Amino acid sequence: MAHLDHLYRVALYLAKEPDEAQDLVQETYVRALASYEQFTPGSNMKAWLTRILHNFFFDNYHQKKRWISVEDNSVDEEEASDYWEKIPAENPGPESHILLKELNAKIADVLRKIPEEFRSPIILVDMGDFSYAEAAEILSCPLGTIRSRLSRGRRLVYRYLKEYVDIQEKMREKK
Amino acid sequence: MKCEEAQELVTALVDKELSDPERSAVESHLRDCPRCQWAYEQEGALKREIRLAGENLRAPGSLRVRILSDRRVFPERVGSAQGWKDYVWPIQHIFRPALVVALLLIFTVPMVYWLNHRGQSIFLTALETYDMILRGDLPMTKAKNTQELKEQLIRAVDGKFAPMEYDLSSMKVRPVGGAVREVEGRKMLVTVYEGNGLSFTCFTFLGTEKDAPKNAAVFFDREKRMNFYAFSSGGVHAVLHREGDVICILVSKMPIDALLALARGKVQPS
Repeated sequence: MAHLDHLYRVALYLAKEPDEAQDLVQETYVRALASYEQFTPGSNMKAWLTRILHNFFFDNYHQKKRWISVEDNSVDEEEASDYWEKIPAENPGPESHILLKELNAKIADVLRKIPEEFRSPIILVDMGDFSYAEAAEILSCPLGTIRSRLSRGRRLVYRYLKEYVDIQEKMREKK
Repeated sequence: MKCEEAQELVTALVDKELSDPERSAVESHLRDCPRCQWAYEQEGALKREIRLAGENLRAPGSLRVRILSDRRVFPERVGSAQGWKDYVWPIQHIFRPALVVALLLIFTVPMVYWLNHRGQSIFLTALETYDMILRGDLPMTKAKNTQELKEQLIRAVDGKFAPMEYDLSSMKVRPVGGAVREVEGRKMLVTVYEGNGLSFTCFTFLGTEKDAPKNAAVFFDREKRMNFYAFSSGGVHAVLHREGDVICILVSKMPIDALLALARGKVQPS
């Protein structure tokens, strides 16, 4: 059972509930075996399985349309600030990276909060190590969409995390 | 290049998804723009942290077992009911239905119970023994080398059979001891393999594939023309296979799919 951890990871961020994620992965293997002749030996099995999982999820669990327009303002970009808004007054130095490392557990929560159109490219590219082309193939969308969603999605994740970073920084200042 | 134009290019630069001209253009911009350079560093750090968060998330062991047990995923089972159905159908036309039911009850039920009970007992003994080994509670025969250990175990069963051997030297795992246990009048040779932080126990005994637990997932290896039976309990996994008259159960805490792959890779068909 190659790629089980990867598939579970993707399923958990799609379905959000562990039980549902396990059902999703199990059905993915069933469907993969049923259509194994469609797999081209030598091609990317991980991407093939991931696409089956995505298709099954959207066909059976998720009735909403997969991709909203890039112009849809599902995220209020005016209010929140991200790393593009301003550069720190001083060189942030390596401690900013240390703070980021403390956020490991928080990231999982944040990824569940952001809209799915931003979350999926992040899960596939950052966690799944897929190229933009592979992610576009899995999600059945243009390659440029992957790039723009990743850009906006990461900034969104950063905004949620920034609040957490600010709390950490204030605590550090009190010491 | 304006900073707004650079945003998506910086994302693609972090992901190493830019063509050479695009990369040169955005890198040139970053050298002149501290704001974008800061964003580039932050986005790269964020990507690394998201990746780490993913690596910490693993599929639960129960999911592996659930998939392995799914008959839709692994449907093949040698010796299924289909084989003897051909013989039962003509007979049912001869006997009255009530008589057929009675005969089935008399002969089949005790047999099924006995077979299931037999498989479960051996499985439980294997798990219990594995647990004893991990706790250091099982007195083991030590030997100077693998060959000497093998000879000692063969003598313990009066030369009737030999312990199943696995060559795990490529994993820096080797036999470190052995023991003999008895289950329902049958002697079982126990070989303990350890090394490189890994521990395997191999149980060898005279038997048939009916010694596999009833809830085991069955895999048919087309290349070797062999059945492998996988089963798990309490985080301990086991793979059973037959070699002639000898049954071998390989037990470990290694993930079930990895253990199955190991057994399939190391075993030669008899």
